[in-house]
Amino acid sequence: MKHISAEEAMRYMGAGAGDEDLRKETQRIAEELEKRIRPKHTWRAVPIRQEAEGILLVGTALLLTGRMAKRMLSECHTAVLMACTLGAEYDAMARSTEARDMARAVMLDACAGAWVEQGCDEAEAEIAARFPGSFLTDRFSPGYGDLPLDAQRTLLAALDAERRLGITLTDSLLMIPAKSVTAILGVSDRPQPARIRGCAYCALRERCTYRKRGKNCGE
Amino acid sequence: MANDELLLLDGGMGTMLQRDGLQPGAIPELLNVTNPERIRTVHRAYLEAGSRVIYANTFGANGLKLKDSGHTVAETVSAGIRIAREAAGETGARVALDIGPLGQMLQPLGTLPFERAYERFAEMVRTGAGAGADLIVIETMSDLYETKAAVLAAKEHSSLPVWVTMSFDRTGRTFTGCTPESMARTMEGLGADAVGVNCSLGPAELEDIIRRIRAATNLPVIAKPNAGLPDPITGKYSLGPEDFARDMQRLAEAGAEILGGCCGTDPDYIRELAKCTGNRKDRQTPPLRGAVCTPSVCRETGRIAVIGERINPTGKKRLQQALLEEDLDYLVDLAVSQMDAGADILDVNVGYPGVDEVRLLPRAVQAIQAAVDLPLQLDSANPAALEAALRVYNGKPAVNSVSGKEESLRTVLPLVKKYGAAVVGLTLDENGIPETTEGRVAIARRILERAEQAGIPREDVWIDCLTLTVSAQQEQARETLSAVRRVREELGLNTVLGVSNISFGLPNRLLVTQTFLISALEAGLTLPIVNPNQKEIMDAIAARRVLTGEDDSCRMYIDRFAGAAADAKVAVAAPEMTLSDAIRRGLKKEAARLTEAALGTRDEMELVEQELIPALEKTGEAYEKGTVFLPQLLSSAQAAQAAFEVIRGELLKKGREAVSRGTLIMATVQGDIHDIGKNIVITVLENYGWRVIDLGKDVPPETVVRSAEDNRVPLVGLSALMTTTLPAMEETVRQLKAMPNPPLVMVGGAVVTADWAKAIGADFYGRDVRDAVRIAQKVFG
Repeated sequence: MKHISAEEAMRYMGAGAGDEDLRKETQRIAEELEKRIRPKHTWRAVPIRQEAEGILLVGTALLLTGRMAKRMLSECHTAVLMACTLGAEYDAMARSTEARDMARAVMLDACAGAWVEQGCDEAEAEIAARFPGSFLTDRFSPGYGDLPLDAQRTLLAALDAERRLGITLTDSLLMIPAKSVTAILGVSDRPQPARIRGCAYCALRERCTYRKRGKNCGE
Repeated sequence: MANDELLLLDGGMGTMLQRDGLQPGAIPELLNVTNPERIRTVHRAYLEAGSRVIYANTFGANGLKLKDSGHTVAETVSAGIRIAREAAGETGARVALDIGPLGQMLQPLGTLPFERAYERFAEMVRTGAGAGADLIVIETMSDLYETKAAVLAAKEHSSLPVWVTMSFDRTGRTFTGCTPESMARTMEGLGADAVGVNCSLGPAELEDIIRRIRAATNLPVIAKPNAGLPDPITGKYSLGPEDFARDMQRLAEAGAEILGGCCGTDPDYIRELAKCTGNRKDRQTPPLRGAVCTPSVCRETGRIAVIGERINPTGKKRLQQALLEEDLDYLVDLAVSQMDAGADILDVNVGYPGVDEVRLLPRAVQAIQAAVDLPLQLDSANPAALEAALRVYNGKPAVNSVSGKEESLRTVLPLVKKYGAAVVGLTLDENGIPETTEGRVAIARRILERAEQAGIPREDVWIDCLTLTVSAQQEQARETLSAVRRVREELGLNTVLGVSNISFGLPNRLLVTQTFLISALEAGLTLPIVNPNQKEIMDAIAARRVLTGEDDSCRMYIDRFAGAAADAKVAVAAPEMTLSDAIRRGLKKEAARLTEAALGTRDEMELVEQELIPALEKTGEAYEKGTVFLPQLLSSAQAAQAAFEVIRGELLKKGREAVSRGTLIMATVQGDIHDIGKNIVITVLENYGWRVIDLGKDVPPETVVRSAEDNRVPLVGLSALMTTTLPAMEETVRQLKAMPNPPLVMVGGAVVTADWAKAIGADFYGRDVRDAVRIAQKVFG
């Protein structure tokens, strides 16, 4: 497994241009996090069937009716559901860090964001290896574009994510543990272009410091 | 089974139902009501394969999961038990009420309160027991706290045997970080009748975990694993029946006596499993050592374990004030600093005039456990407070204390037994503290005898031979030491001593305390209660651990002192730093030291106004310009906090009011559990000298209103991170504004915008932490 990128974590903190001391400290925290916690993931591949109302992921209760899913899965024969989490042990680590030192807690939070994304990339590599000669689409998640957030419940159930990874959902549709990500991606026989770009699809869009200042991380 | 040393369970229920076409997303337990024949068929198949215990189809039939199903817990659970009973018929097989996780995380991981989880489980237990279950199985658990709620519910609402199995992954822990040892210790303490593992992985991956459970308990061990791992594309599990049974034989040899299968197994697996043989005759069960634990830390007793004494208000003004204000953060700080200094167990005592211990002790326990991963020693003279805290403690705690007094033995020991704690026995009785060694040992014997009669194993009885002040009763130091030696040698029990008390009233106390500690350790003291933040005390412990060989290859000792030398160098490197520099650079220790030095010549308020605030302002401005980033802003705030603590302590000493520029409330709204943003704001506001009442996360509107009324604050801050919780923010603002004298409200958080703030009637929108400071300045003037 690759390492956490301190640069990525710095970007999450809105400190992309940050100084060397901050970068070193972030690096140290990233190493500590890597030592204590590894991302865990699970995935499941299911056939796709076009129904009148939308795209059915066969063997699950997911019927995707939006434009987003249509655009992503139009050329695919299979959909892969995946989830990745740093687990409740990360939540405990974050809480105890917050009690000690908020500055470190902020850096840890950013590193954890980068770490769980790394875990997703790892899962995706594993998926790609199981479909040699096929092409994967970008990952998309409940809450992105017009894929509703309440698809989260069905997606987690289809993955048996509570039993497999310990991910649960609150009534307000928040995943616990906090650093958890779910995604859907398509498998196609044809090369798939990158379709997802920009803030609307970013997992950090709701807490991005660049965005709040009216910028984006590409500027 | 091939011999009668093993007991055969059933295999997967969900697996069988999915195989014949359970609708995706359907709740399998509803079949008990809608299609009982299908469930009966599965039970019969397992009974024919040889199962002697079958799990009724009630795993997820709890009030939370059935909420919108149109069916009640009562009908679903009782139907499930009835079907299993009918299937078992005359076979003599037993029927288990099967209880799985509720599907929602308990606090502090999630939002479900412990007592609500307990109620949900109790509902299942009452129905299941009433419908004729023979035993209760609590399975597939990953959170020890939820498991405890379920076991308490099972014990308090039925008299059936209770089995507990949790799911472990490749790291050897559950998803929430619970170890096999902590599970075994906690569950045996709570009165479980068998413990083990289910689901998780295939049998081969569980061998080590089964061995670890076997070594940590005398209870029968259960193994009910999956048929290996499922393939993500085909959904097929990796092990067939023969391979599964072959690997299960290894688990039987590792000490599992109750065997079955979970996901991916069917009656063919159980038929193969019946060929396994047990090995009870070969197994040696060495006597268990005592232990206390949290979910992830199991601290065996017998070797030295340091008990931190600082969470005890006797003689501590600052802590007394914190308790009266219910400032639990201060207790958490004390816990954290003791943990970082090397404490192994923390004593928690909140007894002080004006404090409702029955209410505060459990809250303190929960707050500390949310942040600090050390076993706790619950310290109170009030049995009701002890019980309230024992109930909510996550893991296996110690209780401080019982004495030789009849009243104490009668009230405390049953609590210790019921909640499976260790207990400190004080060697005093109705006649006071005996002056002789003989007298104290006699009381120790009596406490041990009564504890064993109450069903508490002797390894969980710790004896405190009581330290008396040497300046007042000089000859008593010798008696205490010789009593410790005899309790250790003659009774073989662990011994506790509150060490610091010895030196009261003498100059250079620390030297006397340290010398007494060393003597007591030599006499056989295993559980010294000390102040771990006194370096000399922990130095003596470190040296002792070298001499006894506990510190293998002197590694801890070398680390401790190699590190200390480096610290000393840093300290001399910065002689000319000003307080303002220390704050801007975020150096906590320096800031505290410089504040102490400055207080000799300058007034407290002057320091705050002329040094602390301007330094914070400078960092804040740099943050806005983008030359300093959030972590640095926070470091700076924390250094200011360290300076504030020194000032506050000084003022309390002089009996003056603490520095406060005003009080406000902060809360993360209901349904939202991400509170790092709110905590960032609190850290900074506090260091400008405002007192912040932190209501935490997932706070109902009513709680915010009640606190605003009780504390009459002029300003309330609300945060929300998710779009789904914005309505809760709106509702909270609405209710606040409906108060007779409504406070001003500021809102912020990732998804909150200025327009939204205006639309819901908030007075201020705080874009970031600097904004929050400006708003507070405006409100408080």
